[in-house]
Amino acid sequence: MKNKKENKLNWRRLDNSAKIFPIAAGRKYSTVFRLSAVLKEEVNEKILYQAVNRALEQYPSFKVRMKAGFFWYYFEYNPKKIIIEEEKDYPCKYIEPKTNNNYLFKITYFKNKINIDIFHSLTDGNSGNMFFKEIIYNYLEIAHKNELKEERKSRKIIECDTEDSYIKNYDKKAKGNSSSKKAYVLKGKKIRFGGISTIHEIIDLEALKEECKKYGTTVTQYLTAVLIYSIYEANYKKYNYKGSKPIKVCIPVNLKKYFPSKTISNFFSYITLEAEMQKENLNTFDKIVEFVKSDFKKRLQEQEIIKTMSANVKLGNNFLIKIVPLPLKKLLVRLSYIEIRKYTTITYSNIGRIGIIGKYKNYIDYFLMLIAPEPVEKIKCSSCTYENKMVFTFTSILKDNSIEKRFYEFLKEKNINVEIESNGVLDDISEEIK
Amino acid sequence: MIYPKKLSSKKKDLIFKIFLISSFIVGLLLVLINKITTPTTPWAALANAGIIYIWITVFYSIKKNTNIAGHVLIQAIAISLLTIYIDYELGFEKWSINISVPIIIMIANITMLILTIVSYKKYIKYAVYQLIIVIFSMIPVILISENIIQNKVLSIVASSISIINLIITLILSAKDVKAVIIRKFHI
Repeated sequence: MKNKKENKLNWRRLDNSAKIFPIAAGRKYSTVFRLSAVLKEEVNEKILYQAVNRALEQYPSFKVRMKAGFFWYYFEYNPKKIIIEEEKDYPCKYIEPKTNNNYLFKITYFKNKINIDIFHSLTDGNSGNMFFKEIIYNYLEIAHKNELKEERKSRKIIECDTEDSYIKNYDKKAKGNSSSKKAYVLKGKKIRFGGISTIHEIIDLEALKEECKKYGTTVTQYLTAVLIYSIYEANYKKYNYKGSKPIKVCIPVNLKKYFPSKTISNFFSYITLEAEMQKENLNTFDKIVEFVKSDFKKRLQEQEIIKTMSANVKLGNNFLIKIVPLPLKKLLVRLSYIEIRKYTTITYSNIGRIGIIGKYKNYIDYFLMLIAPEPVEKIKCSSCTYENKMVFTFTSILKDNSIEKRFYEFLKEKNINVEIESNGVLDDISEEIK
Repeated sequence: MIYPKKLSSKKKDLIFKIFLISSFIVGLLLVLINKITTPTTPWAALANAGIIYIWITVFYSIKKNTNIAGHVLIQAIAISLLTIYIDYELGFEKWSINISVPIIIMIANITMLILTIVSYKKYIKYAVYQLIIVIFSMIPVILISENIIQNKVLSIVASSISIINLIITLILSAKDVKAVIIRKFHI
């Protein structure tokens, strides 16, 4: 009883990145990302329910709901039961708290696939992945009690906390990067009735790595170059763009690689590549690869990342901003966000390898990651790797999927084996690719 | 195949819109039939008031897992308005404000009191609705002061119950109120 009361009164602040999401989010701008695991067996709802509850006991920081304070939103203990449903809607949709027992993540399943849609205020892709893996481990342990008996005993839960690592690590003296120009916005008609097209390109990792070696790039750099090239060929040129706006690719960066942190809250920053297609004459893939390599080198320096992170922390920590009442903050942020979003053409987030231990691997086919597209950034890209499968995902609200098609064709031209999976929203074009 | 082939959310919206338009057409038809057949008795207005009341309830219920206190508040206001309207249509003999509304207020307050006693730690969750119900419950007092109400006893009892209810919940939940104030106003 006492515990229940303690839990009820237990609350925590949102981390520095998380503060902005509930203020800016809405039905059209959900700030939700999804992780999915495609198993080699059909998902059982009852087992999944048990698995999620066990994971919530292990990671109580996810058992929260969001409440509005006078100045900021905050998290508090959520006593309600988790809801598990069969997947019906489009991925990465806005999580309506009232229909989800106020949880900030949503668990759904479809045939062999388990999904978790997470509101970005709760955590970032890397920590979300940690929680999701725990659900998958639990699920498999319950579903295959005898086979995974030993694994369960020896498996350790990764220790974590909920500290705001931004506040702990930001540099008070660092000066932010000066603002750059607006980005090229993808052209084309939108899918009607709020539909989201999802196309997964399942890439043979070994073949991809071989190709990367030829250009001396990392996998992320190579795929970023292919993405810019596809945008250039299938949108920029196709719609005969004559302006001077660059194609800007926003790439989230996991700050845990730069700072010691055990936080399960958000701890990421980003770099933005600016491809001046006309000014720098980036009209071939080879030129784009060279540009991507040098721009990555320039922007992925620790000092540059600290600068960007610190500027954002300082903004959120500004006393004058702090004391603005929440409803007014909402109004101001939503108005300014209409402009801010025009500074990115596309986002590409690679959460890297999803490591699964021991015998658990026998039950998993591959993983997926998806990010919600939005009215200005109409396509968002993400990728993750499991064993030899790298899944590059396009989530889009554009009717025209020539970019996805060009991306696929390019990899095929390089003799890289690519398979396609989609949610069939744009059936005709998905079939065309296949 | 890793996604459901037919996504139903938009279909649901469409069905919802069809029902909404249908009830609008039914409402208009009722008015027409009323005008043509029995123009002296405005029964279509009553039927339409019923349709509107149903939609208020439906709209509210669609939002599943809603706060029970919020539901009590909406129902209390909706039923009160409906009875006043029916009374008005039937010649306004004031039975709605003399009897119906005070009884509705009493039921709403007693429901809230039971909710508070059964799980008083949830008081904070109900606080806003509780406050609005208290304000709503003061309407009979205004009506008494304006001499609009004849049956004063029932209205006084209803308003008194509401104030007692507020005091009890405040006493039961003082600590939580303090904790919530700290939480809500953190900078």
